[in-house]
Order: sequence, then structure tokens, then C-alpha cells
Amino acid sequence: MDEQKLIELAKAGDRKALGDLVKKYTQTIYNFAYKICRDKEKAENTMSETFFSMVKAIHQFDGNSKLSTWLYRIVVNHCFMLARADKSHLFNDPETDEGLFDDRYFTDWSSLPLKNVENEELRRVLDDAVSQLAPEYRIVFMLRDVEGNSTEETAEITGLTIAAVKSRLHRARAFLRKEITKAFQK
Amino acid sequence: MSEKKVTCGDVMNHICESLGEELATQRCKEIRAHLKECTCCQQYFESVEMTIDFYKNYNFTASDDVCKNLLKKLNLE
Ligand SMILES: [Zn+2]
Repeated sequence: MDEQKLIELAKAGDRKALGDLVKKYTQTIYNFAYKICRDKEKAENTMSETFFSMVKAIHQFDGNSKLSTWLYRIVVNHCFMLARADKSHLFNDPETDEGLFDDRYFTDWSSLPLKNVENEELRRVLDDAVSQLAPEYRIVFMLRDVEGNSTEETAEITGLTIAAVKSRLHRARAFLRKEITKAFQK
Repeated sequence: MSEKKVTCGDVMNHICESLGEELATQRCKEIRAHLKECTCCQQYFESVEMTIDFYKNYNFTASDDVCKNLLKKLNLE
């Protein structure tokens, strides 16, 4: 059954259709929440919260945006809340990072030992780099580049202007790239 | 032609728009031309694309138990 039909049924109170919608988005939302929270338990909680909100508010879903956009927005709000509550973590702000485009990091990546993400060392480097990135940058990078939302959708999900999405995206990419280069230049 | 010559810094600042988006304006054409000629910018561009690919391919899956529990918690079994 197509999503439109499922949404209509779910809005009319069909529990089976609602369950099918939850199943359809479980992995997407879990994966995204994990990438933002970097923690299994937090990702599971965020996912539960997101679907609780969906079940509670599905009758208000107006269909003006995609269901996925709507779900991502709930996840993002939840993650921002968690990030604000967690004062223990110091993040790197790419806005003030002067070395982002430093010549030192203009190396040819074809010489780096970067084959695929099955590589344990690469995974560790990716984790380290993205954990240092301030949440508001990480979220934009994940939404736009990794999840494949458009710039407009990313702006809608985060409540940022399109210009702000582009500038954060640009800096997040440069920051992650720099961190990966640094890790492998050692 | 715009008066100012495209520099490496311009290209890097522009990569945001040029990845996965339309490169149609005059400025974009100049940037593409620069990118074709300049190894430094090519390497930058490629490494940014690779960075994105790494993260795209680094995924996490919820276990069957987690999925089942979710439906149970939501009363949607
Ligand atoms: Zn250049």
C-alpha cells in the first residue's frame, strides 16, 4: 500500500496502518538518531519519543510536507533538547575554526589508507571527528549530505534559513574533512 | 565575465552549492573551469566528496528486539 493511503487510514484511526508507518520508518529514524546522539541508549529513546509524538499527532499531519520531513523535525528537536541538557561535552565550533582551509590539509587523499568504512581505524576516526562537531552543524550535515534531504527540506526541518543551512553545511564538511586528514597525517 | 578572477578560496567557499546542486550561473561556470585546472581544488573537492561518502556508508541498525519493543510500547503490535 502506498504511503499516502497508509497516512489517510492512520489518521482515521486504523492501528494497523499506523503500525505499518512506524515499521516503515523505524530504521531510518533509528539510524539518524544514532548518528546525531552517538549513543545507543539515547538513539533508542529518541526513536521512541519520535514515534510517540507521531502516534499522538498523526491526525494533525497536514500533508504539506513529507512524512519523513515531519519525523526528522521531531528527532531534531529532541536531539537539540538532549544536547542542551548535556553540558559536559565541549564541542568544536567550525564558525571560529581558523584552520579550516589551511594549506596543510590540502593533501591528496588517494594516498591515505581510506578504503571503506569496514576499516576499524577509519570508523574510529569518523566517530571522533563527528563527535567534536557542534550539534547544530552535525544535524545539518547529516540531514542534507547523509540522509539526502534537499537544502529546502533541511531548512524546514531545522527552522534555519536556506543561507544558514548552506553556510553550516559548508563548514561542517570542511571541518570533518580536516579532522580526517589530520588523523591520517599523524 | 565577472571582473574578479576565481581564487582557490572562492572555489572552496562555493563547493557547498556545487555539490549536488545546479552549476548554471556565470560564476559557477568560472568555478568549474578553475576546478578543472587546479589540482589543489580538485583534491579538496574529492576529499569532501569522500568525507560525505564515508558518513553515508556508516550506518546503524536497530535490532529486532528494539523494533518489537517499540511497537509494544506504542501499543501497535
Ligand atoms: Zn584552486
